[in-house]
Amino acid sequence: MNEPMHRFKYTKLTKEQIDQKLKSTNAGPKSASELSDALAGKSLKIVTDNGPVLNYVFKDKRKLTLAEGSAPPIESGYGALTLKEMVLFSHIIPGTERGFNVFIDRDTNLVTVFEVWLCSDKKEKALGGQDLALDPREVQRQIYFGYVEVAGQKPPEKRHHLTNRLEGKGLYWKQDNGIETLELYTSVASSNFVELTRHVDDLGYCAPSDYVLVNDNTFIYQRTECEFSGISTLYVADLYSVIQAGARLGFNEKDELEYYMFRGAGNVVGQLAYLEPFNDHGRAGMVVQAKTDPQAPGKGQRMVYRPVRTFQYMSDEEMHQAALKNTTAFGGGAVAPQAQAQAQSNNIPFTDMLVGKEFTLRYDDGGPVWQYKFTEKFKLRYKEEKETQWHEQDYRAYEADEKLVWFAHILTDSKPRASVAIAVDLLNGLTTCIYSHMGTKYYGNETTYRAIFGVAEGPEFEAPHYMRHQFTDELVGHAFSWSYSDAMTSMHVYTSPHSMTWTIFTDNQTMGAQWGSPCLFVKLRDGVYIFCQNEEACNGAEMIELINTKISHDCGFNYSGNQRGVSLGLTGAIGRHIGQFDIKKFYGPKIHRKGA
Amino acid sequence: MNASKALSKPGESPNPNSGRRSFLWKTGAAMSAVFASAAAGISKSTPDQDAGSRGEVDKLSKQIGRLEDANVIRRQHQAYEAHLDQGMYEEVVGMFADEAEVVFNGGVFVGKDKGIRRLYCNHFAPRLTGKKIEAAPGFKPDPARQPDIVEVAADRKTATCHFPYSMQVGEPMTGNSSLVDMARLQGGGIVKWWEGGICEASYVKVGGSWKIRRLEYRATSKADYRPGQAYAKPIDIPAFSSVFPKNSTGPDKLVG
Repeated sequence: MNEPMHRFKYTKLTKEQIDQKLKSTNAGPKSASELSDALAGKSLKIVTDNGPVLNYVFKDKRKLTLAEGSAPPIESGYGALTLKEMVLFSHIIPGTERGFNVFIDRDTNLVTVFEVWLCSDKKEKALGGQDLALDPREVQRQIYFGYVEVAGQKPPEKRHHLTNRLEGKGLYWKQDNGIETLELYTSVASSNFVELTRHVDDLGYCAPSDYVLVNDNTFIYQRTECEFSGISTLYVADLYSVIQAGARLGFNEKDELEYYMFRGAGNVVGQLAYLEPFNDHGRAGMVVQAKTDPQAPGKGQRMVYRPVRTFQYMSDEEMHQAALKNTTAFGGGAVAPQAQAQAQSNNIPFTDMLVGKEFTLRYDDGGPVWQYKFTEKFKLRYKEEKETQWHEQDYRAYEADEKLVWFAHILTDSKPRASVAIAVDLLNGLTTCIYSHMGTKYYGNETTYRAIFGVAEGPEFEAPHYMRHQFTDELVGHAFSWSYSDAMTSMHVYTSPHSMTWTIFTDNQTMGAQWGSPCLFVKLRDGVYIFCQNEEACNGAEMIELINTKISHDCGFNYSGNQRGVSLGLTGAIGRHIGQFDIKKFYGPKIHRKGA
Repeated sequence: MNASKALSKPGESPNPNSGRRSFLWKTGAAMSAVFASAAAGISKSTPDQDAGSRGEVDKLSKQIGRLEDANVIRRQHQAYEAHLDQGMYEEVVGMFADEAEVVFNGGVFVGKDKGIRRLYCNHFAPRLTGKKIEAAPGFKPDPARQPDIVEVAADRKTATCHFPYSMQVGEPMTGNSSLVDMARLQGGGIVKWWEGGICEASYVKVGGSWKIRRLEYRATSKADYRPGQAYAKPIDIPAFSSVFPKNSTGPDKLVG
């Protein structure tokens, strides 16, 4: 797949189409590994807390009957896999869009049941208050904890439970079907995953996720790729041996049913610190949300960020008309003062070190050549080399490292409206410009950005002919918390050379809601980088930061447009290094053949 | 006269001619004095003494009634604070009289089912305002300050009160950034601060139950504090500057 998932237009499958495709599940899931006969010939009564009583009879290793409570039994195909003391079995109830994935700990008789279903009729409230219906293809789940009833024995008191013990851990997995993934469990309610074999781009994505602790080395994980294909991946994993056994259910980008069980093996690629209080073990999870949450609670509820549902499309021309009415820089109108304060109250101060300077910035490969005169701390004049007319613009500049200046301004009368954020190294004359303009091929109100490299010319510079700043993967795998103000902190994980994710901390600093985007990284000096991303298919806003890891601080700009106009704003944050995943080795060009 | 001062000397009788009484929480000592006095009167009686004793008993009965009323009102206020602390804003609204009003942050909210419901359910609720938190470091109240005062009128139909408060106040973050959206999704996205001061309340008895007739938050300090911080500095929070309906959660009128 070479279309990024956040851009892919997944088919709105109907209930009828789904029912038709689910008929093949009557035989049970497929599996590359041999399915287990551990349950064949057994009968189990599974009692769950606040959930169903499931009476199973396993005729053989592929057929079972299930009676839910006192209902008459139904027959279904199933599959089972074992993983040390755990046995997992999965089945769909014939004629329905519903099934069960049951994890039994044979040592304790404790059970975790994932009831799964498609074609939910659930409505959610979007953050803007609009009603939104879930896509029928999105796999829903409800977790029940319970036990296998044993005649003559008292029910066990303990249960499997939700946990934060996996928070911050990262794993590489390779399944028995050749599928390879990186899975970074960077939130208690979400996870990042990078499809190393299914997709041709090395992009990380986020999905709402559950983490259940079975014992100190065994856990159960589930994610649903909400806002994408809606497919579910569910497995039990043992971290002593780093092996997994699981089930995948849903429809892929070709609308093909994927219902199979798998085994896998992997290795731990790192661990981020998690910052909640030491006596918080995450047992409550983040399933039941605050009273102020707009999403109504109910069966299957989970915290799902659905940004694209409320992102209002604007054409290029609509966007430009809005820009003509209102283009502002640095809080000059379109952005509320409080919002600016949230984004920049921990910013570093502006510098006046450019005042009185004049230089030319010449970018490679036929790129722009701009002449600059810095007349005041917040005013500059610039023109293209061939122009005769100077343009005056507001600008803001930081000294982001010793004699490394980082400034931005709007490009006068640009269409589509454009801005530049420019790093000039006054010690060696190297420069990088993040050239941004409104509009992508998807939305007029998203930004497009690119990095261009070049040199500064002027009396102070003796710039190199061949050496340039360049793209880097030095930040890949690293995680930083960025506190823009005392009220707003986000953790960035640089999940691949081309993608990142951000995670919002809760009040007690548990890592919660999460989303991701493509991005780029440029190295300016040792420990000093430009990082730029656009919240694609989200709100289209761009963040253009200069990260100085020596002082754990970033500073920079944001650029965005909407019905109110175009805004070049300021942002900056105090950072903490949260940890690092050792994942760079998984990235880079690979052999991908279309249709393979 | 504040009865709390009179009662602060053990054994001293309260002034019988006082029209309004306030009672600090030394009920045990007061009740002992009352019954000791009554018992002394009854033990050697004459007709005049009987009449005097009956008057004394009536007077003391009223005092006991007011003490009981004060006790009930304190419990009411504790319940009010507990409901606020737990975010039970509808229950808070139910504690007010129909024509009550609340003064908060420079705005007056009028009417139980209009302004007051708007204040608690529409303004406080999404801001998680009212959670009881300890005073910010450096802003602890003077320990010599009286903890609370309840004055019940002689006719036992109204009461005025003075309760210190220390609570979290919040304001939703503005803007449409994804960070704010995501914080809202998990119940956050609120800038919070601490506020302390005196809650001036008047109560009225309605159908045998005490209801809040007027409540005014008189903030003495506001600080950029959230529990767990070791340091806080004072902050300036702008008062309401517009009224309902222009401000959908705003007051019915501005103070003065």
